[in-house]
Amino acid sequence: MTTHDPTEQQQQTSLSTQAARNLATVTKSAPQMQGITPRWLSRLIPWVEVSGGVYRVNQRRSYEVGDGTIGFTQVGSALRVIPRELGELPILRGLDDDELLEALADRFEQREVGEGQRVVVEGEPAEHVFLLARGKATKTRLGKYGDRLELGVLTEGDHFGVHALMEPEGRWEDSVEALTPCTVLTLRRDAFEAMIERSPALRAHLEALAERQRRPQDKHGQAAIELAAGHQGEARLPTTFVDYERFPREYEFQVAQTILHVHTRVADLYNGPFDQVAEQLRLTVEALRERREHELINDPEIGLLHAAVHDQRIKTRKGPPTPDDLDELITRRRKTQLLLAHPRAIAAFGRECNRRGVYPQSVVVDGVPSAAWRGIPLLPCDKLPISSGFTTSILAMRFGEEHQGVVGLRPSKLPDEREPGLNVRFMGIDERAVLRYLVSTYYSVAILIPDALGVLEDVELIR
Amino acid sequence: MATEEKLNPEGEKQQTSLDTAAARNLATTTKTPPQMQGITSRWLLKMLQWVDVQGGVYRVNRRLSFAVGDGRLTFTNIGAKASVVPQELSELPMLRGYDDIDVLQALSDRFVQRDLKAGDVIVERGAPADAIYLIAHGKVNKIGVGKYGDTTVLETLADGDYFTYTAVLESQDFWDFTAKAVTSGTILVLQQSAFESMVDQHESLRRHIEAFKEKAAKPKDQSGEAPIELSAGKKGEYILPDTFVDYELKPREYELAVAQTVLQVHTRVADLYNNPMNQVEEQLRLTIEALRERQEYEMINNREIGLIHNADFKQRVHTRSGPPTPDDMDELLALVDKEPGFFLAHPRAIAAFGAECNKRGLYPQATDVGGNRVPAWRGVPIFPCGKIPVSEARTSTIMLMRTGHANQGVVGLHQTSIPDEYQPSLNVRFMGINEKAIMQYLVSAYYSVAVLVPDALALLESVEIGRSGE
Repeated sequence: MTTHDPTEQQQQTSLSTQAARNLATVTKSAPQMQGITPRWLSRLIPWVEVSGGVYRVNQRRSYEVGDGTIGFTQVGSALRVIPRELGELPILRGLDDDELLEALADRFEQREVGEGQRVVVEGEPAEHVFLLARGKATKTRLGKYGDRLELGVLTEGDHFGVHALMEPEGRWEDSVEALTPCTVLTLRRDAFEAMIERSPALRAHLEALAERQRRPQDKHGQAAIELAAGHQGEARLPTTFVDYERFPREYEFQVAQTILHVHTRVADLYNGPFDQVAEQLRLTVEALRERREHELINDPEIGLLHAAVHDQRIKTRKGPPTPDDLDELITRRRKTQLLLAHPRAIAAFGRECNRRGVYPQSVVVDGVPSAAWRGIPLLPCDKLPISSGFTTSILAMRFGEEHQGVVGLRPSKLPDEREPGLNVRFMGIDERAVLRYLVSTYYSVAILIPDALGVLEDVELIR
Repeated sequence: MATEEKLNPEGEKQQTSLDTAAARNLATTTKTPPQMQGITSRWLLKMLQWVDVQGGVYRVNRRLSFAVGDGRLTFTNIGAKASVVPQELSELPMLRGYDDIDVLQALSDRFVQRDLKAGDVIVERGAPADAIYLIAHGKVNKIGVGKYGDTTVLETLADGDYFTYTAVLESQDFWDFTAKAVTSGTILVLQQSAFESMVDQHESLRRHIEAFKEKAAKPKDQSGEAPIELSAGKKGEYILPDTFVDYELKPREYELAVAQTVLQVHTRVADLYNNPMNQVEEQLRLTIEALRERQEYEMINNREIGLIHNADFKQRVHTRSGPPTPDDMDELLALVDKEPGFFLAHPRAIAAFGAECNKRGLYPQATDVGGNRVPAWRGVPIFPCGKIPVSEARTSTIMLMRTGHANQGVVGLHQTSIPDEYQPSLNVRFMGINEKAIMQYLVSAYYSVAVLVPDALALLESVEIGRSGE
């Protein structure tokens, strides 16, 4: 037996693997790409094939007035409401007299409220409208049995007390208490009334509004369908018709596209074992699909984050996403089928569950085990933005045309279609011998009725 | 007629029929095949998808990535004095690829040691950022401020991590987090002024820093890959971006590693004692079991191919308190958010995790894998693997990976249809019979393991095991 002295340089007596590799073929992987995600939204959303480029959603006629969030500008520590944004106040919806809105915006007064202080107290006379510019507050009311009931959380851009402007003898029905230090902008009723005196346009607007609100409507603000029930004898039955929206929302396709360059020498010669053009196309298509997923969520026009109506936007009560918050989010619609959250938000939710000793059963989606809450899969999507304050949003949605849910839209047939909704067109070879392909994908997403989509906002990712 | 019991002279009972001891000489016994303690369930080998590698080398092509280094540093300590290994300084992003050992040595000498107590604040949020901090030992929390003014732990740093000012790239900056020691520990500090005077003194370092600045300014996407230019959501006629997908010029190549042994069987044994079991077969079976165990060990621990050494540094998290808590496991799941396959943990780490669940009153559902009930977390199975090392300080590592070629996960590599193949990628070659009449077989298993994209594998490090439940 021989022993090897490790310090002694071993003499190579045969061909080394290093050298042999030069003769052998190497097994190569197709090029890998880090940015590819499971794209759960694109995978699970039912795609409706649209011919003609436009998808029109007909809804019952609605008389509802706007109720969105309000934006502010900041100079130093002074905050000012953006005049146009005042149109989000229900009573000012549709008013587009910029001068008037400017004048109104100037009359708001800024107030700082410390943590735990009450902004308004129930039972006291209501004389101001409040816009919450910074911070978080909670709306409470004294319950039937003497305990405080929490009615909801208000955050930046929310407003309360609009009725105070219209009713001279109104009293607060709820109390609002600051959860964090808050900045509020207030407008006194007498200042508003002085504006009405001075501006006939405002007066006309308010009268038209009152007229509109007198029409029969159901709790969603839709034109009512008159029905009779529980009557006896020969009562005169109501006659009715279902009124439709006069100008239904139309969805046009959005496009994500790029031009792919491949040199003809590369395309001609270096094709074994991988087709270079096909690989370049494959990765470009993957990048486009990632972009489509991003746009489906973030696009300012169609993106789900922006398309959710104000009623369907709720805020976390404390900050981190608790089981209570998700329950609140789920109850806002029938048949929630998907919860979509940033992976870090899922981890934050897991922590909240762990702290409470709650272990939600996981579910299997497409063969992949995933977190779930109340049996609804909670799937990761890193396209949901995280703000600089480490907050993000969680989306909840119902799918499908038959359930009046969220549907994805794509064109039914495209020339040079490579896969549904995506085509690759050959643009030609330029004088530098570069092949050029135009790769485009068309997409949109429609929400058939507003309650199909909900957003839990202000989800903090505290560790 | 009653026969009287006869007693032999010693007073023992006389045997009246054939006893079992004698009968055994005529009977055959039922024998088990030889048993072996070291065989484990080898879940890693079972659960990985195996890619057939022809030609012995597997090349993983990736999109070109400009990400600059953020590895971990290694320290030496003499008594209580810690110093950073000079070559390791090139893990710092701005020194990546710089290899003038004299300059690095001089740099490492300039670091000043500071000892920390638990709760010490190292840097304050908002203060000017003007130093490089290396953590030689201990745990440090990076604390930021949430939207409503509450404090948020952004990240936990531990041994070998660092944080630095970024003024190499910007003229002036401020810490955007507070760093606070969680445990007692040791850090090394280099002031910005000291670093800059080094840059001024050494021409090669200055050139390197300039090249670094240029590289950092190139466009890249969030994984640090060269971007694929796209446009979206625009209307009208505008000029579209041109693009091509750039690949890495020097892709990583995985050579198949080998585990080998020479099995010796005496010809007399092989010729004669073959009933009811073939002696050579049994010898071979046990040898192969041992080789497969070794293969799994290497796939986890080998310095070159082992999974523990191949996890990307961004994919490593430390436990927050020590034992593996459910929160830590959630954190790990957030790192491999794309279709996680399974956790792999030392059996004692699984027990420690169970203890943490029990403490919180959580009972994670087990899941079903191939007919076995396996403990799971959020539906992702946790497989035991005794080959994950446990350090002397009783800390271990928990791995989470995505598997499969199609979803860019972790794949096993092997080569099938090799000569004298006995099992896939394992061959038994007859070497001959030597002059002592011993038959020799060369048994070799060829294997490797590749992480196709970095986010396919994540590690939870410094998992304390065996802490009492209190």
